[in-house]
Amino acid sequence: MQDRRSLVLVAPAFAWLTAFMVVPCLLILALAFFRRGLYGGIDYEFTFENFAMVLDPLYARIFLKSAWIAGLAALIAAVVGYAAAYAIASMPRHRQPALLFFAILPFWSNYLVRTYAWIVLLNREGLIVGIARALGFSGEMPQMLYTEGAVVLGLVYNYLPFVILAAYAPLSRLNPEISEASRDLGAGRWTTFRRVVLPITLPGVATGFVFVFVLSIGNFVTPALLGGGQFQMIGNLVYDQFLSANDWPFGSALSMVLIAVMLVLLTAQTFANERASTGRQSAEPVDG
Amino acid sequence: MTSLLSIRHVEKHFGRVRAVNGVSLDIRENEFFALLGSSGSGKTTLLRMLAGFETLSGGQILLNGRDISNVPPNHRPVNLMFQSYALFPHMTVAQNIAYGLEMEKLPRAEIRARVDEILGTIQLSALAARKPEQLSGGQRQRVALARALVKRPQLLLLDEPLGALDKKLRSEMQLELKRIQHQFGITFIIVTHDQEEALVMADRIAILQHGELVQCAPPREVYEHPATRFAAEFIGVMNVFPVQRDGMRLTAADGSLIHASIPEGLGAEIVAAVRPERLRLDAETCDNRLSGRIIATAYHGLDLQVHVATPAMAKPMVCRVTADAAEARNFRAGDLLTLGWNSADTRLFAA
Ligand SMILES: Nc1ncnc2c1ncn2[C@@H]1O[C@H](COP(=O)(O)OP(=O)(O)OP(=O)(O)O)[C@@H](O)[C@H]1O
Ligand SMILES: [Mg+2]
Repeated sequence: MQDRRSLVLVAPAFAWLTAFMVVPCLLILALAFFRRGLYGGIDYEFTFENFAMVLDPLYARIFLKSAWIAGLAALIAAVVGYAAAYAIASMPRHRQPALLFFAILPFWSNYLVRTYAWIVLLNREGLIVGIARALGFSGEMPQMLYTEGAVVLGLVYNYLPFVILAAYAPLSRLNPEISEASRDLGAGRWTTFRRVVLPITLPGVATGFVFVFVLSIGNFVTPALLGGGQFQMIGNLVYDQFLSANDWPFGSALSMVLIAVMLVLLTAQTFANERASTGRQSAEPVDG
Repeated sequence: MTSLLSIRHVEKHFGRVRAVNGVSLDIRENEFFALLGSSGSGKTTLLRMLAGFETLSGGQILLNGRDISNVPPNHRPVNLMFQSYALFPHMTVAQNIAYGLEMEKLPRAEIRARVDEILGTIQLSALAARKPEQLSGGQRQRVALARALVKRPQLLLLDEPLGALDKKLRSEMQLELKRIQHQFGITFIIVTHDQEEALVMADRIAILQHGELVQCAPPREVYEHPATRFAAEFIGVMNVFPVQRDGMRLTAADGSLIHASIPEGLGAEIVAAVRPERLRLDAETCDNRLSGRIIATAYHGLDLQVHVATPAMAKPMVCRVTADAAEARNFRAGDLLTLGWNSADTRLFAA
C-alpha cells in the first residue's frame, strides 16, 4: 500500500527525467558510435573512431586543461566559500539570514550579465586599470582579460554561492559547545578548527567542491567571454562540434566522456556524504 | 581548611540582564559542591565563567590563590562536562577521551594507558571503537565524564550531567558520580535544578535566585534551616502560611496562637513554615495545635501524604505519615483531627 502510494508520487518526476534526460542522453550515446557524413550529417555505420579521437593528444590536452581549470576554480571557490560561510556562521544568529542573502545575491542576476561585468572590470581600459592609473600607477599593466586567470576568476565568482550554501548548512548546525569542549580539553583556536570543526563540516565543502567542478568543466560561456576566442575548454569544443564543425558524432563522444566523468564524481560524492551524514547528525545538541 | 576556588563578587551582565549578580563562594579541595536554582537563575553562566567561556563583568575568580579571570579555557586546570555532552561526532569513544591528553602532548603509550584505565573505570572498554551516535544516552554521559576526568583536572564542572537520564539510571549515576569523585579525589561542582539530587550528592549546596546567592550550606542545614522563604520552598516540600505579629505574639489567620522563636530582624510581614514530616496528626502533646479535616490522601509507597484543611490557613497543610502509622490508623478524606507540631520545628521568614 505504502509502496504503491510512493510509486505514484515518484512517477511524474520519473517520467520527466526519462523523457527529457535519459532519452536524449541515449540518443547522444548512440550518435557517438556512428560516423560523420562527408558533408555534415551522419552515416549510420558503427564505429569506435570518435572515442579514439577523444584520446588524440590535441583533444586530450583540452580535456586535461579543462579539468585543471575546473579543479582550480573548485578549490579556490571551496576555500573562499568555506571562509565566507564560516564568517557568516560565527555572526550572531539573527544577522545570519541577511548576510547569507547578500552572499547569494549575485546568483539572482543573469549569468551572462555577471560575466560581462567582469569584462568591464578587467579589460585594458577597464575599471581596475582606471583605478590603478588614478592612483598614480603608470607602468605597463599586465594583461588581465582573456587569460586563464580571468576564466578561473569568472568560474569562482559565478559558482561561489554553491559552496557558501553547502558549507553554511553544517557550520550553522554545529553545536557551539562542541568547539568549546575542544577548547576546554586544552586545544587552541587553530587546533580546534583543524581537528574538530573542519572534519565535521568538511562533507559540506566537498559537496560544494564537486558542484563547482562539475559545473565548471562543462562550462563554455565563461571561457568564451573571459578566455577570448583562442581559449578552449571541453564545453567550447562540444559547442563547436555541434554548431560549427557539424561533427555531431564526435561532439556526442566528447559529451559522453564528460558526462561519465561527472557521474563518477557525483556518485563518489553521494557515497562519501552518506557515510559522513550520521556523524553530522550527532553534531546537533542533545536536548536535556 | 584550604579553599581551592574563591569566587569573589562575581558579576555577569548580558545587556540589561544580570545573569550573575555579586556571587561570592569558597570551594574547598575535594568537595562535592552543588549549584542549585530554578531555570534562568544563572547556574550555567557561573559555571561557564569558571571554565573560561564567559568574561566577567565584575569580580574575581581565584584558583589556588591565583586570579584566573582572564586565563583562556585551554589554559585552565578546570574541565567542564557540558549539558549537551558535546562529544566529537567524528571520533570514536577512545579518540574522544584521548583528545584532551593529546593536547597535553603526552607520549602515545601513556595516552593509551590512561584511556584504557578510564574506560575500565566507567565500564565502557567494550565500546571504545564506537562513534558517539552508536551509544545510548547513559553511555554518552559516561564518555563525556571520562573525557573530562582523564585530564585529572583540579576542578571538574558538571552542568546538569544527569538531566537527560531517566529516573532509575539517574539515581544509579548519582552514586556512581560520588564514587568516582571519591576515587579520583577531584573537586566537583555540579549544577542541577533537582533539589533531591543536590541533597543526595553534595557536601555543600549553594542556592541561586535571579543570579544572587541565597544560601550556601551543607544539605542538612539547607533543609532544616533555610535562609529565606525562597530557599525553604525550593528545597523539598514546605507548608507555608502567613502569620500576624503583635510584639512577641504570633497568630494564624483565624486567631489561633502560633508558638515559634522569632529570629531577630524580622519585620511585621511574616510567614511560618513547617516540613510535612514534622506535622503530627491526632497530636495532643505538641505546643502548636490546630483542628482540621482531611480533604485528600495520596499514597507514595514509602509514606502517605495527608492533606488537611484548617480554618487557620487558605491552603491545606501537607503531612507525611509513615507507612506503618498509616496502616495503624486508617486516614480517610472527611476525618476530623487535630494537627500539631512543635515550636522548635517552626521556621519564620519575611513574607
Ligand atoms: N548569551 C546570553 N545572552 C543573553 N542572555 C543570556 C545569555 N546566557 C544566559 N543569559 C540569561 O542569563 C540568565 C541566566 O541564564 P543561565 O543559563 O545561567 O541559567 P541556568 O540557571 O543555567 O538555567 P537552566 O536551569 O534553565 O539551565 C537567563 O536569564 C538567561 O536568559
Ligand atoms: Mg543551565
